[in-house]
Amino acid sequence: MTLSPANPDSDAPRRDEARDAILDPGGGGAILEARGVRKTYRLGRVDVPVLRDATLSVGRGEWVAILGASGSGKSTLLHLLGGLDRPDRGGGADGANRISFNGRALHEFSPGALDRYRRRSVGFVFQFYHLLPELTVLENTLLAAMVAHGRFRYLAQREQLRTRAARTLEGFGLGARLGHRPAELSGGERQRVAIARALMNEPPVLLADEPTGNLDRATGEAILDAIAALRAARGQTMIMVTHDPSVAARADRVVRLRDGAVVSKEG
Amino acid sequence: MYQALLTRRYLTSKIMPLLAALAVALCTAMVLTVWSVMGGFLAMLLSSGRTLMGDVTISWPVAGFGHYAELIETLKQSPKVAEATPVVESPALLGTPVGDTALINAVGIEPSSYDKVTGYADSVWWKPLETPLPKDKGWDDPRLWNPPPSTDRGQTTLATADQRESMKRGLERLQRAAMDLGAVDPRTGDDVPGAVLGIELGRLNQRRLGGWYEPRHVTFGKDSVTLSVLPVSAKGVAIDVQARRFPVVNNFKTGLYDIDARTVLVRLSSLQEMLGMQGATRVDPATAGAAPGFGVVTGPDGRESFAMPKEVASDPARVTSVLVRTAGGVSAADLKRECENAYLAFASRHPGEAAVPSPSRILILTWDERPAVATLVQAVRKETALVLFIFGFISLTAVFLVFAIFWAMVSEKTKDVGVLRAVGASRSGIAWLFLRYGVAIGVVGAALGGGLAYAVVLNINPIHDWLGTALGITVWDPSVYYFTRIPSRVEPDRAALVLCAGVLCAAGGALIPALKAALMDPVRALRFE
Repeated sequence: MTLSPANPDSDAPRRDEARDAILDPGGGGAILEARGVRKTYRLGRVDVPVLRDATLSVGRGEWVAILGASGSGKSTLLHLLGGLDRPDRGGGADGANRISFNGRALHEFSPGALDRYRRRSVGFVFQFYHLLPELTVLENTLLAAMVAHGRFRYLAQREQLRTRAARTLEGFGLGARLGHRPAELSGGERQRVAIARALMNEPPVLLADEPTGNLDRATGEAILDAIAALRAARGQTMIMVTHDPSVAARADRVVRLRDGAVVSKEG
Repeated sequence: MYQALLTRRYLTSKIMPLLAALAVALCTAMVLTVWSVMGGFLAMLLSSGRTLMGDVTISWPVAGFGHYAELIETLKQSPKVAEATPVVESPALLGTPVGDTALINAVGIEPSSYDKVTGYADSVWWKPLETPLPKDKGWDDPRLWNPPPSTDRGQTTLATADQRESMKRGLERLQRAAMDLGAVDPRTGDDVPGAVLGIELGRLNQRRLGGWYEPRHVTFGKDSVTLSVLPVSAKGVAIDVQARRFPVVNNFKTGLYDIDARTVLVRLSSLQEMLGMQGATRVDPATAGAAPGFGVVTGPDGRESFAMPKEVASDPARVTSVLVRTAGGVSAADLKRECENAYLAFASRHPGEAAVPSPSRILILTWDERPAVATLVQAVRKETALVLFIFGFISLTAVFLVFAIFWAMVSEKTKDVGVLRAVGASRSGIAWLFLRYGVAIGVVGAALGGGLAYAVVLNINPIHDWLGTALGITVWDPSVYYFTRIPSRVEPDRAALVLCAGVLCAAGGALIPALKAALMDPVRALRFE
């Protein structure tokens, strides 16, 4: 499996560049950091704590695997890191219970800024692909660009974006499947489309939630190879949730999560 | 951008949105059809209100007013007046050739000027017809004197050119008789006053499905009707019943059932005579026959003659109304003001004269102010508003239907919402996606409904006729609804309003589900099974 190199053409508009500069000022150190994060879900009248003072720091360009059993809170942590959810209210004065991206606390982001963060700074890959069944492979990939660019800017750059999406998909060996619907693809192909969608806006961080969990071993390996090649090509930061130690072993560092708390950091 | 793409795909890949669009279409079509029929009914009522009436009526019922020719001349001097014509109207009893008696409205007219004011010539029914009525596919109308050989009628009953020519001449004769309101007395060959009857009067003609009429109980020029009127003095005292026979010379059809079933046209002079409204001279009875020797007097030249009574005054001929038609571009209201001024000038030339009512008492009304028309128009307007309110209220079910369908669809698309939020879609973007989807369904539904309504309205009479033939259902009874055909008219502004309302209904139905989608927790949406 080959992977196309990162597209250096700057098709992102200037306004967004300025915005992204705020979100991603570059430089070394932790790009994403969770400190003493707590998350509780309420099931009926019962509060169920999912994360208890989970702490994690991810360096720029690092591949971190979060390993844990089912229900350990790893997907919840990933959602919080990706700005899909917010930690419990009540951050400590010592800076606990906060998640920061490039040093900026996500809980201080307005809803609009959090939307922009998801558009530009992170890309999600889910276990069950979550492709939109009515859209073709190419349209599913372009969906992220459509959301990020808005109508007029998207239309203005449509050809460029389509070319970029097609190249990315070709890089994943899906060049002949651009007009197919997800239902016409195998599990591995769907997951590659999902990865292409996550990469469409070239986010600095890729968040993968059990990306091989729904695939057979051979296909899973191919997907991991693709992710590894991607990282090598783009130097992308990657946080991958898995319950499979052999999958986690591919990462630079493994963080173990048990009952909502980080119990060990290996690597 | 993603909203446009997803709206298109959702719309074409699911059956549920099509059901929602169908609901919108049916409601839109229902309201539009009802409004078109009621609007058409009102429009036809208004336009028929002018039929045989003109634009403005100057009237003094029962007693009538004199010097009408002078008034007409005064009116014609105004550039706002195209034509004016005198008319006498009176309730009358009509004895038909089959022995029936009907209470009708006898109208005395001068056909030539009456035609210029009211378009009477167009309403004359029996005249040569070159092309059939729209529904007369078999060329069965007896007025079609030259049917093509391909029709049954052309091959059988009117096979020869002579027959066709003879028929044409006969119809032209009837047309001339209608425009002359006269007939030739078969015994003496003299011209005698005739009557033109409304086509529905006394069921003397049988209406056929093709829209044409078949004469049943009348032979034009030979059969007569008896008209009985009751002259009334200026003080409202009945004088004596006057009856007279008139040969039936033709029929007229205005399309307004009430007029077509209850009106008989005769010459103005005939009705004036019967009602005692013709011009007369007053004499001093004391001077008549006062001379000795059987009233014979010898003149200055020595010749003898009968002594004539001394004329003391003359009563002018009277009419009950003068109908006035506007010149092009002048409104009826403008013309009314002009008529008021003209009558003022006219009355000032006849101060204190009994035959000229004072300007403050004379009735000058535009056609739509005439009590019979105004009451009916008001009633129909109110009925239209009421029916529209009821049907509009019923159509609100479409809102709930769209709401229910969208609620289910948003639930079905929960995972899509989670994905969209994960790639950065805002809450407002998600809301707009479903709202836009609702608008799209509304547009599709309204367009379908508009097309359906247009097709129904365009063919409402054939549909009604088919219902009558196939199922025996007659919804539209001309004796109740005034017109022999179901009127309908699609007005673009009303259609646009209804279509916009259809779109708004769909958008309204989609609003709450759209908000529900927007407020979804993205994590729960992604985990939704």
